[in-house]
Amino acid sequence: MPQNETIKELGLDEYKYDFVTDDKPVFRAVPGLSEEIVRQISAHKEEPEWMLEFRLKAYEIYESKPMPEWGGDLSTLEATLDNIYFYLKPQDQMERSWDDVPQEIKDTFDKLGIPEAERKALAGVGAQYESEMVYHSLKEQWEEQGVIFDSIEDGLRNHPDLFKQYFATVIPQADNKFSALNSAVWSGGSFVYIPKGVKVEIPLQAYFRVNSERMGQFERTLIIVDEGADAHYVEGCTAPVYTTESFHSGVIEIIVKKGGNFRYTTIQNWSNNMYNLVTQRAMVHEDAKMEWLDGNLGSKLTMKYPSCYLVGEGAHGEILSIAYAGDGQHQDTGGKVVHAAPHTTSQITSKSISRGEGRASYRGLCKVYDGALDAKSNVECDALLLDETSRTDTYPYIEIDENTASIGHEATVSKVGDEQIFYLMSRGLDEAEAMAMIVRGFIEPVAKELPLEYAIELNRLIELEMEGSVG
Amino acid sequence: MNNTTAAARTDAVLPKWNFAQFASELTEPAPLTSARKAAWKRYSELPFPTRKVEEWRYTDISTIDFELLTPAIRTEEIDEELPADVREILSQSGDRAGVVVYQDGCVVHVELDQVLADAGVILCSLAQAAENHPELLQQALFETRPSTAEEKLWTLHLAILSGGYLLHVPPGVELPAPIHTFNTLKTPGLLTSTHSLIMMEKSARAAVIEEFISEDLDEQTVSLHGASVHCKDSAGIEYVTVQQYGRGVAHFSTQHTVAHHNAKSITFNVGLGADLSRADVTSRLLGPGSDSEMLALWFGDAQQHFDHHTLQHHKAPHAHSDLLFKGALTDKASSVFRGLIQVDVGAQLTDAYQTNRNLLLSEGSHATALPNLEIEADDVRCSHGATIGQVDNTQLFYLMSRGLTQRQAERLLVFGFFDEVLGRLPMAGVRERIRGAIEEKIGL
Repeated sequence: MPQNETIKELGLDEYKYDFVTDDKPVFRAVPGLSEEIVRQISAHKEEPEWMLEFRLKAYEIYESKPMPEWGGDLSTLEATLDNIYFYLKPQDQMERSWDDVPQEIKDTFDKLGIPEAERKALAGVGAQYESEMVYHSLKEQWEEQGVIFDSIEDGLRNHPDLFKQYFATVIPQADNKFSALNSAVWSGGSFVYIPKGVKVEIPLQAYFRVNSERMGQFERTLIIVDEGADAHYVEGCTAPVYTTESFHSGVIEIIVKKGGNFRYTTIQNWSNNMYNLVTQRAMVHEDAKMEWLDGNLGSKLTMKYPSCYLVGEGAHGEILSIAYAGDGQHQDTGGKVVHAAPHTTSQITSKSISRGEGRASYRGLCKVYDGALDAKSNVECDALLLDETSRTDTYPYIEIDENTASIGHEATVSKVGDEQIFYLMSRGLDEAEAMAMIVRGFIEPVAKELPLEYAIELNRLIELEMEGSVG
Repeated sequence: MNNTTAAARTDAVLPKWNFAQFASELTEPAPLTSARKAAWKRYSELPFPTRKVEEWRYTDISTIDFELLTPAIRTEEIDEELPADVREILSQSGDRAGVVVYQDGCVVHVELDQVLADAGVILCSLAQAAENHPELLQQALFETRPSTAEEKLWTLHLAILSGGYLLHVPPGVELPAPIHTFNTLKTPGLLTSTHSLIMMEKSARAAVIEEFISEDLDEQTVSLHGASVHCKDSAGIEYVTVQQYGRGVAHFSTQHTVAHHNAKSITFNVGLGADLSRADVTSRLLGPGSDSEMLALWFGDAQQHFDHHTLQHHKAPHAHSDLLFKGALTDKASSVFRGLIQVDVGAQLTDAYQTNRNLLLSEGSHATALPNLEIEADDVRCSHGATIGQVDNTQLFYLMSRGLTQRQAERLLVFGFFDEVLGRLPMAGVRERIRGAIEEKIGL
């Protein structure tokens, strides 16, 4: 990691790497990370002093923590980190032209049947004015009820007290190496507040957000669902994200207060050269319900374990996860539930598919603390293997300190049965169609929970990924 | 261990592991000594496992200072007579084909049915085996490579081996009754290390039951135990250990079973005694058609801690393995189950199952289950399941309505819970012996 970068060098690099021919000054840090860069990011965002201190402390923690030795192969990550930009001002990403988008991704858009305007938005190259207009009225409706749906930077600027009260309370800087990294350099993400008793019936969608900036590499999202409120948040795109970035490390913090109800849906389809290391966790209070719906299709390596900390009596947590590991990919995903209050319940359902030399791992935790009377948890993991070279792993941790708990875990691994394929082919399908149909059936329990347009796209994506997998 | 004992121990036979001195006091065949030395060299290079090592995350052995214990020195004082206490137990436990008795880690008695000896069956101490069959020891014991996390205790086990036996069953020979062994501890503060080397030739069949017994000991005492079980084509083995050590003892058992073409192995670990009991059980399926059944049950009370670490390693296609581990805990007892099914590339048509069930009977008890899978072949059927819970309230209520106290009803249900595992042991005599031991422990 480059150390003691001088201002002069910073200046030089600014020209060297600044290819945007625009009269607006575009800020871009030098590759690699240093305290100076952390200070620059904070200064650039005109943040209050406490946030700068928070970032610097996080940077210190990040430097002191060793690289994790479990999970996926992170051996080349250190070198990758030295070469990436830890902060890019969002504008310059948006000003890439449609011509820069690789042909294969354009083809995928065509196959998915996504309209031109949406395509450009999804690829991060188009202006989002079209959608702004469409969703403008919705925004007003939410605002009347007191709903806040801002970028994380605006959240800090416009609602400093609310922000400070909850920020980093669910995932502290020192939680793990990558949450520390994110805490030091976070940029972009959403700030959401749903007031008491308000039910937002339409999913809040990250890319519909008015004034939205494209998600950065280190997005930070903070969501507060107040007592009795109800909402569904959808994050990310179902289409392949055009990105040259090679590292993504987000932190998502969610607080669901008494009687609240919240669902977070995310479908990740990063490009296949990407490390995706995300910490996402929800604090679930009395009688509240939290659901994570987590889809992982892209990236080189994903390590992501959505968590529910059930801290109030009667809290319920649910994690539905689906992972697709194509050739050369490693999806190390799963879920964590921590039962820290009586009568809490949870359910984890994980479905994974491995193809080619892909590897899908389920890694999960079910922890019941002493005193969490009558906690109930059930975990089910199913893995499907499509090729001789595919690999699947299951690593559940079940730690129970309470004798009244009732905990179950089950996992199965299988391949697509020849007789199933044979049957479908006898009904007139070709082999690839038959295979795709069986895979769709396998993920059905998760897909049916998605909003319709996402479910359709997920199915089509799986179909595209499956092309050429037979014969 | 308090300071005064620690000071006393430095004057003991091995002040802080003077291995050269330890080795010089041994009189034994050269291959055994050179194997010890090699193991000692490796041992000296390795760190003791701490809770930072994933495999030892839930079991803390830092409280045991192995190097302050007195290692048992291997003696060869074979007694023709069966020790009285063992004779007492054997009189109640039916037929047997042979007996091995250890006292404080040293073999004191070996006997084998004459008819079997005439048929070519070998049952002898490891020292004798080292003299007469050094090549067997070399390939079947000294070349065993445990996983990195287990290597420290494994190399210590080999370096300070205090006793052991070889059972060699020639092709086609079937033992009509089990071999029964007794590992008894009497001296507090000892570190013993015993090994069971079992070689089953083609189509040979045998059952072995090993018992580990002691009173409560008032000083930290450690028993290291290893078992290497080799089954050639179509051979069959039933290998059972019943651990009933008293308080004050820590027991570490490392068991490796290898099954070739169409061989069938059954291992069964019963954990009832000791403060800390760890069993590392590995089953490798090397030949098509091989079959491994791995069974265990444990009942923990007071502050007992049980740790079970298992591996079902499928290296060959068409093999089958099935694991069923059940534990019940009361008082402040705790347990860990960490199991792995590993299916290698090319091990197609594997059938592998793994089940761990835990009953928590008291508020202070806690259990951890980590059933893992690593699958690198695609045409497989693998599943695992783990549950942690209480005894069924309806069943409890029914039994209490028939006049049993809550405690009686609960214990009866635990006994029933264990019976599912016991029922899978083919040999009735062995089953009865284990039932007796469980009854005694849970106080039915």
